[in-house]
Amino acid sequence: MTMLKHWYESKKPKKPVHKPLPETVLPCKKYDAIVVGAGPGGASAAYFMAKEGLDVLLLERGPYPGAKNCGGASLIAEHTHKLFPNFWEECECERIITQQAYWLMTEDSILASSFQSLKLAAAPFNRFTVKRRNLYQWLCDKAVSAGAELHLNHQVDQVLFDEGQAVGVEMSPPNQNRFLADIIILADGANSLLAEQAGLIPQVSPQDLALYVKETIALPAEVIEERFNLLPGNGTIIGLIGHPTAGFNGTGSIHTFKESININVGMAIADFAASGIRPYELLERIKKHPLIQPLLSGGVSLEYGSSAIPEGGYHAIPELVHPGLLIVGDAASLVNGTHGFNLAMWSGFFAAQAAYQAKISRDFSQKKLSLYRTLLNESFVMQDLKANAKMAALQRNVPYLFNLYSHLANETAYQMSKVYTMPKKAKRNLIFKKITSIQPLTKMASDLWKVIKVIQ
Amino acid sequence: MSKLTHCTELLHFTPDDYWQHISITDQSVCQQCRTKPCLTLCPSGVFTWNLHKSEPVLVLYKQCVECGACRLVCDNINFSFPCGGYGVHFVEG
Repeated sequence: MTMLKHWYESKKPKKPVHKPLPETVLPCKKYDAIVVGAGPGGASAAYFMAKEGLDVLLLERGPYPGAKNCGGASLIAEHTHKLFPNFWEECECERIITQQAYWLMTEDSILASSFQSLKLAAAPFNRFTVKRRNLYQWLCDKAVSAGAELHLNHQVDQVLFDEGQAVGVEMSPPNQNRFLADIIILADGANSLLAEQAGLIPQVSPQDLALYVKETIALPAEVIEERFNLLPGNGTIIGLIGHPTAGFNGTGSIHTFKESININVGMAIADFAASGIRPYELLERIKKHPLIQPLLSGGVSLEYGSSAIPEGGYHAIPELVHPGLLIVGDAASLVNGTHGFNLAMWSGFFAAQAAYQAKISRDFSQKKLSLYRTLLNESFVMQDLKANAKMAALQRNVPYLFNLYSHLANETAYQMSKVYTMPKKAKRNLIFKKITSIQPLTKMASDLWKVIKVIQ
Repeated sequence: MSKLTHCTELLHFTPDDYWQHISITDQSVCQQCRTKPCLTLCPSGVFTWNLHKSEPVLVLYKQCVECGACRLVCDNINFSFPCGGYGVHFVEG
């Protein structure tokens, strides 16, 4: 009986006890800058600040960099090459992407658009697939060799302020101490709790944050190359649209790594909540698709995972510059389409420049640090986000966009592929009637107009 | 084997036995909740319904993948990240 009681007790939620640190706990040391989160944004910021001679502390809550994030990922070569010249000689990349494809899917068909070229396999390349752990570790190693201090297993509990000016951070147990600095850079990823708890940014809307699930499946390199028609060492990234997200706007993808592939799928958290679809069931559904299944057959499931990706676009970007504090990467909602890494690294780079300027003028005010926002605005980062600003609203206003039009495109392709005994003119009429019976012509025209207005 | 078990068996954790990073603020609210989004939304099935207890929602926090989606759909969920070094860790990217 006592054992049973013990079992029940252990399941009971224990209220998190928040013991404020006594004022007498002295901080170890004061730094020029503290970066919270050793992802692409944080590690890049730490590296570029350390390179300029700043005294930098980089804090990571995981046991190693990249432990807390997952999902198929690609590195844009030109973006990365400009920040880290010839990075492909240092960072372990999985495959050189020579094929990019989009598959519009229904339950039994795929209408594919694909481009493959060997031109993409020559330096300076176009895209690579990478494993997060390798990329994050490489960036952290660079930061550390430039002079930054990296602390793993360090979870920041809160940012410390002095009359509105960010002055340091306080750790969660077991390393319950404080670190002080002139500048705090928050790179704590999507769903950033720190900035929100400090009242610097509002809580992100479940409409603007997408939830992705992934499964990594091991397959021999030759099998991957054969199934996806790739030369050795080359890879493909396939966007999956329509069927994978069960009627909602969202995307799936297949990323090829050296000896594994990632299947990812996700949509807005609000849509998951409203539909009652379980994320892992959505993933299972794609794996069972009759045309996807053969691609995975014989593979061994290695890892399941889930993570949140900001998809609110330009209008969801919060205030990024605060007195003594900057927000970079996913925490700043800097994700354009599916590109997060590259914008994170550039935002880290710009934040480092602003931090350096603040340091040499010994002015850590919001005004001085707003150089970060200016640099972002002048770069492709903000300009492209701005150009795509209406995309999020379009997906909200036309909730059937991906699913219905994938279906229509597949139906058209099916009818066109099929050979009938009727004359061609009659066949064209038949196709037109079929399509307009699914969606009226006027509605299609108005949706098309909405799309054109967004992409311009 | 259920789909969820298949998924959770493919995850790596360092569970914290002393501190639970997700909790339900007021269990009586869950009794009244009509939609219960937490039961389906969570990608690793942390929230489970348990009719026979005064606390209807069991929080299996040790299998949390730390996406934080739950806190955005329910104000009654008290979510924070696990302490340094604990929780999920991904290896495969």
